Amino acid sequence: MGNVNSRTRDEGFYARPAKAADGSMNLMEWEVGIPGKQHTAWENGIYKLQMIFPEDYPTKPPKCKFTPPLFHPNVYPSGTVCLSILDEEKSWKPAITIKQILLGIQDLLTDPNVNDPAQSDAYTMFKNDKVAYEYAQPALLAKRFVICLFLAEEECANRPGKTNRSDAAPT
Amino acid sequence: MSSDYEYSDDDAEYYEGMDMDEDEDIDAQDDAISEDEMEIDFSRHDRISSGKQKAYEVEYDTMPQEVVESLISKDIDHISSIFGVSNGVASLLLRYMQWNKERMVEKYMDNSIELSVKAGVSVVPPPPASSSGRVSSSRSKSSTSVATKRTTRRSAAESASRSKATPEPPTSPEYTICQICFDDEQTEMLALSCGHKFCVDCWSTFIRSKIREEGEINVGCMASDCSLIAPDSFLYSALGADKETAKRHKELIVRHYVGCNKNLKFCPYPSCINTVSCPAAASKSALSTFVPTVTCGVSDDHIFCFGCPIEGDHRPIICGVAKLWLKKCQDDSETANWIKSNTKECSKCQSTIEKNGGCNHMTCKKCKYEFCWVCMGPWSEHGTSWYNCNRYEESSGVEARDAQARSRASLERYLHYYNRWANHEQSAKLSVDLYSKTEKKMEEMQITSNLTWIEVQFAKKAVDEVFKCRMTLKWTYAMAYYLAKGNAKELFEDNQRDLEKAVEDLSELLETPIEADNIPILRQKMTDKTVYVHKRNEIMLEDTAEGFLEGRWKWNVNVEGFETTSD
Repeated sequence: MGNVNSRTRDEGFYARPAKAADGSMNLMEWEVGIPGKQHTAWENGIYKLQMIFPEDYPTKPPKCKFTPPLFHPNVYPSGTVCLSILDEEKSWKPAITIKQILLGIQDLLTDPNVNDPAQSDAYTMFKNDKVAYEYAQPALLAKRFVICLFLAEEECANRPGKTNRSDAAPT
Repeated sequence: MSSDYEYSDDDAEYYEGMDMDEDEDIDAQDDAISEDEMEIDFSRHDRISSGKQKAYEVEYDTMPQEVVESLISKDIDHISSIFGVSNGVASLLLRYMQWNKERMVEKYMDNSIELSVKAGVSVVPPPPASSSGRVSSSRSKSSTSVATKRTTRRSAAESASRSKATPEPPTSPEYTICQICFDDEQTEMLALSCGHKFCVDCWSTFIRSKIREEGEINVGCMASDCSLIAPDSFLYSALGADKETAKRHKELIVRHYVGCNKNLKFCPYPSCINTVSCPAAASKSALSTFVPTVTCGVSDDHIFCFGCPIEGDHRPIICGVAKLWLKKCQDDSETANWIKSNTKECSKCQSTIEKNGGCNHMTCKKCKYEFCWVCMGPWSEHGTSWYNCNRYEESSGVEARDAQARSRASLERYLHYYNRWANHEQSAKLSVDLYSKTEKKMEEMQITSNLTWIEVQFAKKAVDEVFKCRMTLKWTYAMAYYLAKGNAKELFEDNQRDLEKAVEDLSELLETPIEADNIPILRQKMTDKTVYVHKRNEIMLEDTAEGFLEGRWKWNVNVEGFETTSD
């Protein structure tokens, strides 16, 4: 599992053991980043994930948890990912590599599995209103936030007598 | 298709009735194969009418685990001899088909490759060779196992042309390092027919966790996209010295087999591993004619109903009605009690009203009828006597109360039966206390008189009998609630009353204080009464069971398996 870093760095993935406060490495807990796919609502974002390995790994799968939790039909409110290859009673196999897991989660971001919902908010929105769902994606939200900020600043700048930019909070 | 192979009769016996959801199916299969089955049915009637078997008892066998295991291996041997496959493969195929041998044979002859792939016996076969004449290198590895599986008579002929195109097993690069643990000191590598090699340690850890923690009988290859399932021999050799896990796996297979076969049931008591076989109760229609109460034979405690999951013995009432009753009790009892004690019905529209404060001048929210809470008569007649009602005897008030009483009758009726049912249940639960109390008395008797321990056993026997009869009585109240009015019901209730009286008498005797000089009389009385109670219980059970066989009972609700009747 050590060669994940080198092979997929170019695509924006990373995976490394977490560092404790004293600087020591904890091999049972990894910090992971998964980039959103290009040309989707998830592009330009890197989604942070915590990977927690159980004592009996690889007999049991690692637990993958988005920190902070994501608005996605297959992510539990706690952030834990619901994916068949991460379920020991479904398709988990000891030979599944970290790379396969990360790619699997990346696929899941853009292709939610409606048959196995893990949170109701994102699931109902995805089922009933695809447009609103797309707009709620983090990458787009961030984009809109930047635009709002920009517009607010413009407005402030254009307002006579008020030139102090620090007043222009995006509300 | 069936002309290809002959099935022996005893095969049919085990599989008859296994995979049938519709009654139609049952009929069709009955005609075709179940000579043995019919014999059983007839002989049941014969035995009952000739008095050899009691009408309330059912014929069944108890089987320890070894017997079920031998049934399983018989099936596996049969399949492997028909198709010339190994026992491991036969077992996987049968498990995939839920141990339905007939269907399995049919499917296998239909398309052996498809079934093998689905059952995890072999990997997905390569596309037909005719398309290109060459097989890509990634495919070639996976096709090796298919070639080895094509040893069956039929499929070999069918796919002769295809197997020619299958390349020889490629000399796959020797992985000296296990791709899971990357431990280069591991030397012994194992692989299924797919060729995915992993070290023995990884295999055994994985297999142990699957079997022991997940209770899984099928353990697949550990490679990520491989759907092969390991045959039992592979599992056991990988587990090596871990006999405990292998034993657990065998137990799980027995459970799976029993779960798939309608003629068999596992004893539901904790840590009991016996199986009961009761072919007479395997079909749904049979369950409306008798109650299949069985025990696994370990002890008298391990008593359960073969037909439904209700705990313990629910004779004399059949499963369907017992279920109805339990559901009603669960839904209604508390609510009914509360409604009875806290509400009244509007005397015009019969809506249920709770008075939670205010004066006695009530206005029904629904129909706006104004009435007096005390006498239930119309408010208009009350004139100015606002806060108290002394008009209890007025005719309008009496009529209103009558109407209310009628609407309450069904509720009262239900509570009547429910309270008696619950009372017997409660008493039966208290029998544990009664046992310890009786035991003390028995010791006391030994001291005060010169009776031996064996001689004072009559008291314990009495407690046993009381407990058994209370269980019967309990269910007779559920049955009486659903019985339609008529002679049959009256006779039933007579029997019930006789039994109840006898049981209460015996209970009272059990509570009598012990005095040195009355012990011989008490002993005589109690022994007599126990015999009498036992007899009454037999009569109750026997008569009810005969009633089911004769179709004597009519219900006031729709019960599955009976004609629609109404009160």
